[in-house]
Amino acid sequence: MLCEICNERPASVIFTQETMQGSTERHMCERCAFQSKMFHFDPNQEPLSIQQFLSNWLGGSEPFQSQQQAKEPLAEGPECPECGLTFRKFLDIGKFGCSTCYDTFRERLPRLFGKLHNGHSTHAGKIPVSFNELFAVKKRIEEIRLKMQEAIEEERFEEAASLRDEANELKRLLTDGGGGANVN
Amino acid sequence: MSIDNFMKNSVTGWMSSHGEHSDIVMSTRIRLARNLRGRRFPIAFSPEEAKDVDQLITEALLNSEENGYSYMKVSALPLLERQVLVEKHLISPQLTDPERHGAVLLSEDETLSIMVNEEDHIRIQCIYPGFQLDGAYEKADRVDDYLEKKLPYAFDEQFGYLTSCPSNTGTGMRASVMMHLPTLTMTKQINRIIPAISRLGFVVRGSYGEGSEALGNIYQVSNQTTLGKTEKEILSELKNITLRLIAHERRSRELLMSKSRLALENRLFRSLGTIAYARLLPSEEAARCLSDVRLGIDMDIIQDIDMTILNELMVFMQPGFLQQYAGTELTAEERDIFRAKLFRERLEVGDKRLKEEETGE
Repeated sequence: MLCEICNERPASVIFTQETMQGSTERHMCERCAFQSKMFHFDPNQEPLSIQQFLSNWLGGSEPFQSQQQAKEPLAEGPECPECGLTFRKFLDIGKFGCSTCYDTFRERLPRLFGKLHNGHSTHAGKIPVSFNELFAVKKRIEEIRLKMQEAIEEERFEEAASLRDEANELKRLLTDGGGGANVN
Repeated sequence: MSIDNFMKNSVTGWMSSHGEHSDIVMSTRIRLARNLRGRRFPIAFSPEEAKDVDQLITEALLNSEENGYSYMKVSALPLLERQVLVEKHLISPQLTDPERHGAVLLSEDETLSIMVNEEDHIRIQCIYPGFQLDGAYEKADRVDDYLEKKLPYAFDEQFGYLTSCPSNTGTGMRASVMMHLPTLTMTKQINRIIPAISRLGFVVRGSYGEGSEALGNIYQVSNQTTLGKTEKEILSELKNITLRLIAHERRSRELLMSKSRLALENRLFRSLGTIAYARLLPSEEAARCLSDVRLGIDMDIIQDIDMTILNELMVFMQPGFLQQYAGTELTAEERDIFRAKLFRERLEVGDKRLKEEETGE
């Protein structure tokens, strides 16, 4: 049988399409099937692709959406200020766009990670040395800020000014280290 | 090009038949996924950001005491060379996409490769021959420590290393062992074992893609869970699973030997005949026969063939290598002819060398 789209190559992909009228069988060659919007096929995909998993699990799947769409569109969820990814798009493509996405979707992630990682949602492995150092610098800035507050309240302005300079110096260190530090 | 020269230039560290349990575990691989803080992931960044990231990582590594890396920009490589890197497992198929602005840094012995701008900014990969999980992890970990000192990583207290795909979040580590399990496949026990392993947070798949029966009876066992367990825990669990699989496979081999020795010998020698004399060798048949001959050598049924040759043939039978050896593009049928030729020549060279050694020439 020839591909019903190009009528040139043999139809090697057969799939069933569910419509309101019932199910119909489509026969296509691999190339036309790949280009077809009806059929998502990625030769590099893992056996259970993360996209399939996420979209079927959290309601990002297209069949689910088409049922819902008549009433109300599925909520896009929060949008990442850094890369513009919405939660809904994340579920569709199965990938984060940047590390800020983790902050943007933070509340929704533990449940999702639990499903993906055998019930676990918190990191237990290696911690980079620089992260510990960064954490220490952040804490130090916090301490200096408190001292500065005290100094201002007690009108020791010279001391407050030198504390401010010290804090600024440390802050500069943080931004030189790459900015957008993930320590809160 | 003489076959010996071609082999010499193409063999990479993990293809040798050394390492613990190297009769059953062919190779061990550790991969660490890392990203730079404050920069969008490759899926979302611009070509300028890609170049920036590439430059940062490359400079950090090339100007280091960890020297000996060679740098290759993937888009600058001819298509065939890219394919050969994939077939050697040194880069992923995804990295060959020119849109990614990917690059790779390779250590001299090719046991270590650092992919830049794959799905994540950095992917450190270490491949060793045989069963060497701890050794491979230590090496990858050392490079990770080194890079981390020079570059700010995206890391989060709660979620660990932040990666593009949520299936890598946490340790960012994928540890895998490539195993040859012919008698577990023959006796269909593997079909019961695979689901049991997946319940433990590990996954088994064929090394040449998915499908119920792995081509060449080679399976890859790797961790699926990267969050909530330490690297050490993941490695030790994988070690246990691997050792149990090895024990299972050995038991099945003994059983087959005692119950149907003649049928087994018949099958293995027929396969040896095929790879030594065939004029047309399709890849499925080549993989199946290589698996049989490998089993024959492991069980001392087939002697006088060096296991390293089989490991090499396993890699060289792939389309990219064949075309590189031929020095030209080949159609599918031409590849089958060339594959048969390469196998014959390689086995003959090995045979000659053994005879020379025996006669002391």
